Amino acid sequence: MARFQILENVRLRGDYFRVVFSAPEIAAAARAGQFVHVRIDERRDHVLRRPFSIHDADPAAGSITLIYKRVGSGTALLAEKAAGSCCDLLGPLGTAFTPAPEGVVPVAVAGGYGAAATYMLVRSCARKPVLLIGARNRDELILDDVYRAAGCDVRVATDDGGCGVKGRVTELVEPLLAENPGKKFFFYGCGPRPMLAALGRKLRELHRDGELSVDEIMCCGVGACFGCVVKINDPDAEKGWSYARSCVEGPVFPLEKIYLEK
Amino acid sequence: MADLSTSFASLELKNPVTTASGTCGYGLEYANFYDLKKLGAVIVKGIRMTPSDGNPMPRVCEVTGGMINAIGLQGPGVDAFLHDDHYLPALKKSGATVFVNIWGTSIGEYADVAAALDAGSDGISALEVNISCPNVKAGGAAFGTDGKLAAQVVRAVRGATRLPVIVKLSPNVADIAEFGRIAEAEGADAISLINTLGAMAIDIETRRPKIANVTGGLSGPAVKPVAIRMVYQCFRAVKVPILGMGGISCGADAVEFMLAGATAVSVGTANFTDPLLPLNVISFLDEYLDRHRIKSVRELVGAMEQ
Repeated sequence: MARFQILENVRLRGDYFRVVFSAPEIAAAARAGQFVHVRIDERRDHVLRRPFSIHDADPAAGSITLIYKRVGSGTALLAEKAAGSCCDLLGPLGTAFTPAPEGVVPVAVAGGYGAAATYMLVRSCARKPVLLIGARNRDELILDDVYRAAGCDVRVATDDGGCGVKGRVTELVEPLLAENPGKKFFFYGCGPRPMLAALGRKLRELHRDGELSVDEIMCCGVGACFGCVVKINDPDAEKGWSYARSCVEGPVFPLEKIYLEK
Repeated sequence: MADLSTSFASLELKNPVTTASGTCGYGLEYANFYDLKKLGAVIVKGIRMTPSDGNPMPRVCEVTGGMINAIGLQGPGVDAFLHDDHYLPALKKSGATVFVNIWGTSIGEYADVAAALDAGSDGISALEVNISCPNVKAGGAAFGTDGKLAAQVVRAVRGATRLPVIVKLSPNVADIAEFGRIAEAEGADAISLINTLGAMAIDIETRRPKIANVTGGLSGPAVKPVAIRMVYQCFRAVKVPILGMGGISCGADAVEFMLAGATAVSVGTANFTDPLLPLNVISFLDEYLDRHRIKSVRELVGAMEQ
């Protein structure tokens, strides 16, 4: 809970923003998929912190970058913060993505601002990940340019066909596999719950392995309150599942652990 | 340096500041932030006999000045709590003073949990009996809002343990002092209040309730004036000590609770905002007492002047 200075807080497009904090300790420790829990404002009418995936960390510069969408009162306050002002950050928190080793093609499948959470895989994996990004329309598509600039193969699907293929991001998986017969893949999913469920089903159908990063409303961020749980497979439980805390047992879960509703 | 130590329900606490049940997990969740021994006590989240899943998601939402939760008492059950490394055994090693919050869906279950914890009570200093959770359909709130049932629960727990018994009262009643008197008459060593206030919130875009349970419990700074009033009313009605809580988000709030009649206080929702808040409250108390030339924190209890 130290206070960290904002170096930059700029609009990417529409309601999407990028904020950079000077946070050397967090930058040094952060791994792909982890998050910081941000107390945006000191005013007592806001009691909850907001969790954000760490988009990028630069240990040399001592900075971390978050990408966020202005969706409610907390993110609206964050969008108003000027460079030079401070926020209180906890982190890095939660589990991280497992970097794909040499010989395995890493594939990040992102829905909306889910693409923010997978960017550090560009450096942690042995080879550059392929990016499959889905968005409602061109205006909701972010970070495709950032991944392209990093040398990634980026493929886009939009609901209205305004950019890339018309359809769901999960529909980009099979063509990718067909182009690369015999290759080994490891998938990283991040996005809204329905998209993750669809991706989980698709990957199981295709017998492919991976990890999913969930995005749930969060309260304490450290495992104390049980406010952010997700269903995971639990052979010991009568129903076949039990709740796990996405802040400490996640947000990144192995695909085989995620319980998919029938 | 003022004397922060205090007597509470036959216990000597090093200071009057505790962390409220449900906001500090089952073990060492906050041990990365500070030494749990620094607290008066850690109050572990509600335990029943068997593991319980809790409610569907979403379980929490923020409202102005507070939050609504309907976690529904997800927990590992009493056996796992007593024996699994990361629960009570870890708390014991930390040297923390531990109060365990208990609940059940029947009077018999309350007694069974109390007896099980009593048998494994090495490392447990007191039981807090939750008769007031608004989010569990069977038990919980029903016991806390019906005087006869409340009396039966307290009597059953009292008969099942030698540990000090603290009864956590529901604010969702017409006259909370009456429930304080009931708890005291049935042998409670202390009462704690308030639990959360019944509440709900609706997302106007989707027209859906913001939490899956539809209704939940309001906590945070918004509830503090209600809690202060209720502590004051109970202080005038009972002789047993009061553990006061409800929206404490700074040291000054803790002083206010003590002036209203609380012997000790719990920090709850504010742990989520600032994990170090309990320590800030302790240092504020020290500074406040020195500034007012008060030797002991005990002198603050019920010291409001009228």
